[in-house]
Amino acid sequence: MIHKPEFRRRDFLGLASVVTIGLMLTSCDADTGEKVDTSKSRNGAMDSFGVGDTFKATVPLTFTFLFSDQPTYPYKKDWLLFTKMASDNNVTLEPTIVPNSDYEQKRSLLISSGSAPEIIAKTYPGQEAAFVSAGAVLPVSDYVDLMPHFQEKVKKWKLEPEIEGLTQEDGKYYVLPGLHEELWPDYSLCVRKDVLKKEGLAEPTTWDEFREVLRSLKKAYPDVVPYSDRFKGDSVLNIASAAFGTVAGWGLVDGLQFDEDKKEFSFGAGSSKFKDLVTYFNSLVSEGLMDPESFTQTDDSAVQKFVSGKSFVISANSQNVITYRTSMEQSLGKGSFEIGKITVPRGPAGDIIGGSRLENGIMLNSSVKNKDSFVALIQYIDWLFYSDAGQEFSKWGVEGTTFTKSGGKRQLAGDINFQGLNPAGTKDLRVDYGFSGGNFAYGGTTDLLQSTFNDEELAFQEAMKSKKPRPVSPPVPFNDVDREQATLALTPLKDHVKQNTLKFITGQRPLGEFEAYVKELDSKGQTKYVDLANKAYKAYADKK
Amino acid sequence: MALQIDGPPKVVPGVEPPKAAKRRHKPGSWKLALKRDWRLYTLLALPLLYLLIFRYLPMAGNVIAFRQFQPGGSIFGEKWVGFKYVTLFINDPSFWQAFQNTIVLGVLTLVFCFPMPIIFALMLNELRSQKFKKFVQTVAYLPHLMSVVIIAGMILQNFSMTGTVNQIAESLFGTSVNFTQDPGWFRPMYISSEVWQTMGWGAILYLAALTRVDESLYEAARIDGANRWQQTWHVTLPAIRPTIITLLILNIGTFMAVGFEKILLIYNPLNYATSDVISTYLYRVGLESSNFSYAAAIGMFESVIGLTLILSANAISKRLAGTSLW
Amino acid sequence: MVNKSATAIKSTTAIKGSPSQGVLVKDMKVSRAMRVFRAFNLVFLLLVVFLTVYPFLNIIAQSFSSEGFINAGQVNLFPMGFNTETYKLILADSTFWNNYGNTVLYTVVATAISMVLTTSFAYAIAKKELKGRSVFIGLAVFTMFFNGGLIPNYVLISSLGMRDTIWAVVLPNAISVFNLLIMKSFFENMPRELEEAASIDGLTQYGVLFRVVLPLSKAIVATMVLFYAVANWNSWFQAFLYLDNPDLFPVTIYLRNMIAGVTTAGSAGGTAENVGQIAANIQSVTIVLTVIPILCVYPFVQKYFFSGVMLGSVKE
Repeated sequence: MIHKPEFRRRDFLGLASVVTIGLMLTSCDADTGEKVDTSKSRNGAMDSFGVGDTFKATVPLTFTFLFSDQPTYPYKKDWLLFTKMASDNNVTLEPTIVPNSDYEQKRSLLISSGSAPEIIAKTYPGQEAAFVSAGAVLPVSDYVDLMPHFQEKVKKWKLEPEIEGLTQEDGKYYVLPGLHEELWPDYSLCVRKDVLKKEGLAEPTTWDEFREVLRSLKKAYPDVVPYSDRFKGDSVLNIASAAFGTVAGWGLVDGLQFDEDKKEFSFGAGSSKFKDLVTYFNSLVSEGLMDPESFTQTDDSAVQKFVSGKSFVISANSQNVITYRTSMEQSLGKGSFEIGKITVPRGPAGDIIGGSRLENGIMLNSSVKNKDSFVALIQYIDWLFYSDAGQEFSKWGVEGTTFTKSGGKRQLAGDINFQGLNPAGTKDLRVDYGFSGGNFAYGGTTDLLQSTFNDEELAFQEAMKSKKPRPVSPPVPFNDVDREQATLALTPLKDHVKQNTLKFITGQRPLGEFEAYVKELDSKGQTKYVDLANKAYKAYADKK
Repeated sequence: MALQIDGPPKVVPGVEPPKAAKRRHKPGSWKLALKRDWRLYTLLALPLLYLLIFRYLPMAGNVIAFRQFQPGGSIFGEKWVGFKYVTLFINDPSFWQAFQNTIVLGVLTLVFCFPMPIIFALMLNELRSQKFKKFVQTVAYLPHLMSVVIIAGMILQNFSMTGTVNQIAESLFGTSVNFTQDPGWFRPMYISSEVWQTMGWGAILYLAALTRVDESLYEAARIDGANRWQQTWHVTLPAIRPTIITLLILNIGTFMAVGFEKILLIYNPLNYATSDVISTYLYRVGLESSNFSYAAAIGMFESVIGLTLILSANAISKRLAGTSLW
Repeated sequence: MVNKSATAIKSTTAIKGSPSQGVLVKDMKVSRAMRVFRAFNLVFLLLVVFLTVYPFLNIIAQSFSSEGFINAGQVNLFPMGFNTETYKLILADSTFWNNYGNTVLYTVVATAISMVLTTSFAYAIAKKELKGRSVFIGLAVFTMFFNGGLIPNYVLISSLGMRDTIWAVVLPNAISVFNLLIMKSFFENMPRELEEAASIDGLTQYGVLFRVVLPLSKAIVATMVLFYAVANWNSWFQAFLYLDNPDLFPVTIYLRNMIAGVTTAGSAGGTAENVGQIAANIQSVTIVLTVIPILCVYPFVQKYFFSGVMLGSVKE
């Protein structure tokens, strides 16, 4: 009570002022939108650089790089990753090392104060928006003509709609996202397969079947609440919402849903499909099948229940499953249980899953356009992050040294281990060589992506293949004034949605009041918000 | 405070007896002040320099930055921003709910968390075993040292439907309460955890103040027939009164900053009605928007309120209690 | 009010030696109530001890347990599945020790600087007759509510060339106005007679400060040292903002990074072999590693609380 840490709270508000004030300080040069004539910046660039070419700078070049440091494989200057870059690509990367715990804060600070490095990695699509209006980051869309590998992948994998989704109000986009060939669904429900087997229950394939399974479990174990969830319920709401044709949980985002036929946006959390979703989960809770605390308890509490055998179902990604298994071997005893992810159940809207094929990528400091090695930098990024060879290099390393390839299948070289794929190895691919690190290795072909999956996960991915991904929504590029209004309107709206979602599901509010809730959304500014969104969308659609 | 009881201060022979504190009311004579107190001013020099460089210079930098961009017609011009947002948030009911919760929690914190360290210090003072006293004092502040994440986890766990508190409630009253999801229970949950966390650490200052108390004063009071309670009232409390007042004023001044991190970790949409405070509301706004001018404007609003509060508390204290911060 | 009650007692003390019988009777009555109160006091304090020590013991136990039992919530007062992997991983890392040394250095230097600045400032403005006193206090109080914001501070530190140096960590938060005002209040409430007597004796204001006031203020000085030291010990934000060189990081950043790194490890994206174990008890290990030193230092501070300084020293 005595010592309110004076600075702590200021930290957040301080960060708040970072973007505003800092960007004002740095936005002195207002010529941000002008595309630079790159013919003058070809120092070190390759004259002919196309798909399949390996980038090698004609003169040794150095680029600065923002590096998110992970404590489990801390940065080492002499990693093979870097020495190979120097020898094969003639490029040296000078990192600014930032602890990953607060990477985004520091990144904001550095960009806003004008001291950010040239290449800024680990940027999720959407995070670049904050820096666009002040011109602190490069409008990369102007320069993708210099990136053959990037363009090829976008075309081959039909990622144009996703890339379109990154467009800002000026029609350009400012982040180079990580690209996936296919959707990579990871989250699902993890169940006690041994208990299901014991009760003679088959794994559910639809949400209705899931409810039936829970009912049977409850009958067999009346004192147990079979399903107690983690992630505050947001994971299961997310995956279920796709199958119900609406948006919820992690998928709520900006609350908007695009109607392909009417070509306009509506507010997803007021639709009848949303009501169906909420009704479904309410039935789980009211029948005692799902723990109402799923939506508010800490992950630790939920995991405790599952791992000690007090519940039978929980949300999980593949890494979580491994953690649960290890824990249960200690708490329940090896061999006395069997767990695994089930394929995401089908719902009334069909066998649909949500997700994006884009993931975290690169922002470029707008100062790079003034470098005389600008073109070389672009070409290098293109090779490293978007070419097959570059991606394999980032993930697996050097063929012959860190891995071998036979018949298209990659294997770690003798003494090297990674994620238990080669338990005999004493060295680690990441810790000792720097490959498969989070700053460079992500995205890519499905084959490459799955090359490090274990069998269980591969089976899961295989089963999930039959599901249809949702169509990609077009972008809603607000101008600054509208964006401000829209985001200010969105917070109370989202609050209301979240509150009532939980209230309806846990039964604190009777489902009969759903219509009243929809009316309340209106009074909270739903119409105004949706109108702003459609206005921005139409402005964008008309321009095309 | 601890005066000598044997008589007035001894006089050193050969020197004039000290007069009562001279009140020099010579206004405007800096020369005289400097001549007499130059050493005090030298003591001030470094700290003032520090304040100037590290606190006031950045503030000035802010103002300049804002001024520069006004001619450019940028929509971020501060004066304009300030008023625009004031109207915006005045019309936002969610903001007012947050504001109300901030005030309620702030007041509750003052009412419950402020006296506890004092009571605790007094109780410690009653212990006769020095060893036990030292031990208790050392362990009591452990909660202050734990990270807020761990504490939040503990709170949520202990107050969950199957947690310790409910287990006790079941055995005593036969019912369990949905502490974590029911808005009505958020405040007690938060306040009780605050008391637990701050009682030990907060008592340290009071214990330090209590060391000044002359033991013989207690003796005198005892002989005089005062029971322990009267002794506490007449000897102990006056000894820590200045500390109490100072801390009270300071805490009133900073009460808008109700535990941001902790609330963020233990609240959830179901209890926003009582748990959402200004800082958490702003946090959500900040998460949505890519421009934080709103947050900055509200921050300014809070600062103004805080300053007003401390000035008022100080003035009131001067009038009621005779002492104040300045 | 203070003077009144003290003098009231003073005047009645003159009648020393009340009839012993009367005193005895009174004492006995008081005794019973006192005994009840003392018992209640004891119970209350024991409860406090339990409520504060138990969670901490739980944390210590968790730091030595294996992940399965931690994740199943089965660890209570004693470690289950005794496991020191996380400790081993951290303690074997030279970066950890390097950073720990940094923390110690920063804490010592920052606390020293803070104490010098705060004490001198507090002493000066505690003097009611100091001209301009309100202005100085106002200047300090104002900064409690308004500050320049992250960017201007960042720009300032950069232009002073202090980035990536110890100064960026120890200087920006040198004076806590909270502490300042508390210390000032303590100084103000020192009996004037002491200081006046000392200045009569020929001591300058410096002398009074160093030879009279400070020795008599050991408790508050010790308290302030404790407050500043603990705040500096736990701080990470300043260092995080202004330091880019990992060799200069305090151990708080190291541990914070470790916690974030293992608990948010991406799925199938790659994790170290024993991440599960580390993730399970990294938080508790962190607390143990950062709290134990404070607990060790505290007894040294504590002795100033019980020195029972006699203020009769002016007599001689």
